[in-house]
Amino acid sequence: MGLITEKTPLAKIQPVRFLLNWGRRYSLWVFNFGLACCSIEFIASSTSKNDFIRLGVIPFAHGPRQADLLVVAGTLTDKMAPVLKRLYDQIPDPKYVISFGSCSNCGGPYWDSYSVTKGVDQIVPVDVYVPGCPPRPEALLHGIVKLQEKIRDEDIQEKFRSGTSAVR
Amino acid sequence: MGRPLSADEVAERLRARFGEGVEVEDQHGHAVATVPVDRYREVVRFLRDDPAFACDFCDFTGGVDLGPERGFEVVSHFYSTEHVHNVRLKVRLPHEEPVIDSIADLFPTCNWHERETAEMFGIRFEGHPLPVKLLLPEPFEGFPLRKDFPLMSREAKPWPGAVEGEEEEEE
Repeated sequence: MGLITEKTPLAKIQPVRFLLNWGRRYSLWVFNFGLACCSIEFIASSTSKNDFIRLGVIPFAHGPRQADLLVVAGTLTDKMAPVLKRLYDQIPDPKYVISFGSCSNCGGPYWDSYSVTKGVDQIVPVDVYVPGCPPRPEALLHGIVKLQEKIRDEDIQEKFRSGTSAVR
Repeated sequence: MGRPLSADEVAERLRARFGEGVEVEDQHGHAVATVPVDRYREVVRFLRDDPAFACDFCDFTGGVDLGPERGFEVVSHFYSTEHVHNVRLKVRLPHEEPVIDSIADLFPTCNWHERETAEMFGIRFEGHPLPVKLLLPEPFEGFPLRKDFPLMSREAKPWPGAVEGEEEEEE
């Protein structure tokens, strides 16, 4: 990634950019931030029937420092929120977040709770929201394909400059 | 193998030991004793140490909010693995300044249960070894399981479904 800096606009060249984004979008090491039943659907997506490894999503990164993609699956409470922020900060750039399920999208059935964070986008920037309670594995696959389309069209230089991904 | 006590026998034994201040009733086959707050610790110690009760396991300690007039209730459930019987203790507390003795030194399992009851209902457990919050984040204000605790989301948007009390009136 050292090639793609402000001073070396190599990634501006169309074929280079295509190749780079093609490589990035099919090798997403995923970190599963499993908090509730959505996590089970995430695991179901990783097993043989749905198998998101065929989309290049490699599950069970050993920790956030090895991951490219964070999937927040489940109910985030206010007490857990600082932990999510900390793990997100540990993921190296460029990084992506999928908010998986109603709870992490907006609080879901706990919309009036005293302890649940009403949406993880209050804590970390979210790229793709997957609705459902819990969403089916197919929904996660769709979310991953949407994210890959987003990465395909991305200008990585722009991404760093705009600061949506860099550590804030 | 021990001998389980019936609710009547529990009432008899507790009255013989603690006088008429203890009320015992039979709820679904369990003896439920209502004890005065100043004798709570004493009763718990008796349940644990008396060979006929031998309650060696505290299942839970929890709270009930009965409203401003009737105050709070602390409920503790004891079980004997030897005699295979259950005894539930209830203690009534005033709504203003509810304070009760801690039994965390008698039953270590009550340590966390009392911390949770304290943070959820604002009941103070006198003599607790570590009186800090258990589940809620430290800066949290208020006691969320009290009936008068406001839910901010519901202030903005009222509950769309039926409310428990109203449902009964319609019937």
